[in-house]
Amino acid sequence: MPTSDKTILEVKNISVSFGGVKPVQDVSFKIAENSFTSVIGPNGAGKTSLFNLISGMNKVSSGEIIFNGEAIHSIHTHKIAQKGLIRTFQGAKIIKRLTVAENLMMAVQGNPGDNLSGFFRKKARREFEESARAEALRRLDQVGLSKFADEYAGILSGGQRKLLDLSRALMAKPSMLLLDEPFAGVNPTLVEKLLTVLAQLRKEHAMTFLLIEHDLETVMNISDRVIVMADGKIIADGLPNSIYENELVIDAYLGSRRKDA
Amino acid sequence: MGAFLQPGFWVFVLALAGIYGIFALGLQIQYGVGGIMNFGHVGMMAISGYTIAVLVIKYQWSFWWAAFIGVFLAALLGALLGLTTLRLSGDYFAIASIAFAEITRYWILNTDSVTGGTQGTLAIPDPAGIGGYTTQPDVILTWISDRLYPLFGQEASRDMSMIFIVWPFLILFIWISSKLQQTSWARVLRATREDDEVPRSLGKNVFRFRLQTLVIGSVFGGIAGVFWALQFALLAPEDFLRIVTFYGWMILILAGATRVKGLLVSAIFFGFLYGATRFLEFWPLSLLSSPERAYLRVFLIGFVIVLLMVKRPQGLFGKRDEMVLE
Ligand SMILES: Nc1ncnc2c1ncn2[C@@H]1O[C@H](COP(=O)(O)OP(=O)(O)OP(=O)(O)O)[C@@H](O)[C@H]1O
Ligand SMILES: [Mg+2]
Repeated sequence: MPTSDKTILEVKNISVSFGGVKPVQDVSFKIAENSFTSVIGPNGAGKTSLFNLISGMNKVSSGEIIFNGEAIHSIHTHKIAQKGLIRTFQGAKIIKRLTVAENLMMAVQGNPGDNLSGFFRKKARREFEESARAEALRRLDQVGLSKFADEYAGILSGGQRKLLDLSRALMAKPSMLLLDEPFAGVNPTLVEKLLTVLAQLRKEHAMTFLLIEHDLETVMNISDRVIVMADGKIIADGLPNSIYENELVIDAYLGSRRKDA
Repeated sequence: MGAFLQPGFWVFVLALAGIYGIFALGLQIQYGVGGIMNFGHVGMMAISGYTIAVLVIKYQWSFWWAAFIGVFLAALLGALLGLTTLRLSGDYFAIASIAFAEITRYWILNTDSVTGGTQGTLAIPDPAGIGGYTTQPDVILTWISDRLYPLFGQEASRDMSMIFIVWPFLILFIWISSKLQQTSWARVLRATREDDEVPRSLGKNVFRFRLQTLVIGSVFGGIAGVFWALQFALLAPEDFLRIVTFYGWMILILAGATRVKGLLVSAIFFGFLYGATRFLEFWPLSLLSSPERAYLRVFLIGFVIVLLMVKRPQGLFGKRDEMVLE
């Protein structure tokens, strides 16, 4: 359950259209600080598009997005990230020609070496890099990738890339994390472990999570709320158990999945 | 073949290699680190070289101030190029950069009253009658060759003095650049050459990083222009054709785009190719007329680039994975 009533993210009537396609239509919700919310919905429902809007990668056609009391719907992606709202990508985006450790180290915020003016602050740069690397190795250990630390990330398998993507987002120490299907293609034992890591981060660092997942079962226990999207709209929003029994959801999503099976 | 044994030949090769090495260093940081394909780099060299000639001859500035302004203008134009076109995707930027350099050259060509037009810097109006722009640095070049005379005798030429001026700078710049490439700033840039969204989603202002690289590279291009102007003591628009940019690319690709220190060797190799094609007079090449032979240089250098791209995309010194990993 959320430990706070404070709203960290508020999405107000946002829509986006690309020509005739309207992936997100008049979507509104509030996310409480330190909560864990899952977004489910069939393929093409608009879940990733919603993340693209929140993270500023696409601009809303109408509506507002408020993060920590500040309107973020018309500012650049990197500025949004700097405010502590970090996202991952569906299908894991890694930088193939950086090493695994470098992929992670890049995510640490406030690196003096990221600015040219930091070039002459050699000591500050070195210390920062050393602690970033130590932290990267810790994170890699957590997901069983430490032996790849100094290999190019391009050699990682599909599942390993997802782990790297997730770990990299965590390196940024976000106050809120948007995860786009982080568990797809990851083996069940590791999924369990990652869920524990997320729960721990939530408890210890008061992080807020918004997570896209296809398999409702996986996130049933960890979520305190589930939002269901279909055709660009929210069709249900509530406690995980209530969603599981919701007729609309069964029709739009769970039902069609049963038919597929 | 005897020509290759002449010390004078190698002195010329080294002087040229030093200048082109600095020139290629600009492309190296832009492409090797930032993945920016700049095909208009020669424009930076043209701007700083011509700025010097015009300010010294027409307005009697001191060479040193003129050189400073020349490099500054190259940087400024790099920034302008970036601000207007860097938001284009890679291929389109490459095309825009060619256009930029061509516009620069045509402007030089057509502004006779300032630049001397087709006739080059000889035709710049010279109110004080100083007849050239290298009088001040020539004092230093002469001083150096006087010192070299006891060691090298008649071989102590102006070219040789140029080596002693250019190479320390080349080595210094390579050192600075390689230090810069070990920073987290460069790590972000390396990420951007593959993907924009990841660095942006991690709070990096990708545009700022790219713009900074473009300007740094332009500064190197501008400095190469200063040395070029000094080396040849006379500039003409046809010195700054597109092909010059590709010479820089050849040096870069030969070294391995990501290996800044490799430039030392590949610049010398280029200088050799450039200089040596003048001497390809043996049969069957002797059947060609001398202007035809001049094209051999372009052909040969193009051939080397193609061969490298196919056989060794990482260059002589690079890591193959860093170029080909998918
Ligand atoms: N930039 C775009 N231009 C045009 N159409 C787009 C764009 N982005 C998304 N769409 C469309 O919006 C719809 C929703 O896509 P989105 O990726 O948000 O779905 P999703 O819910 O994440 O699906 P999945 O579960 O398959 O990942 C799709 O039909 C897609 O083609
Ligand atoms: Mg999606």
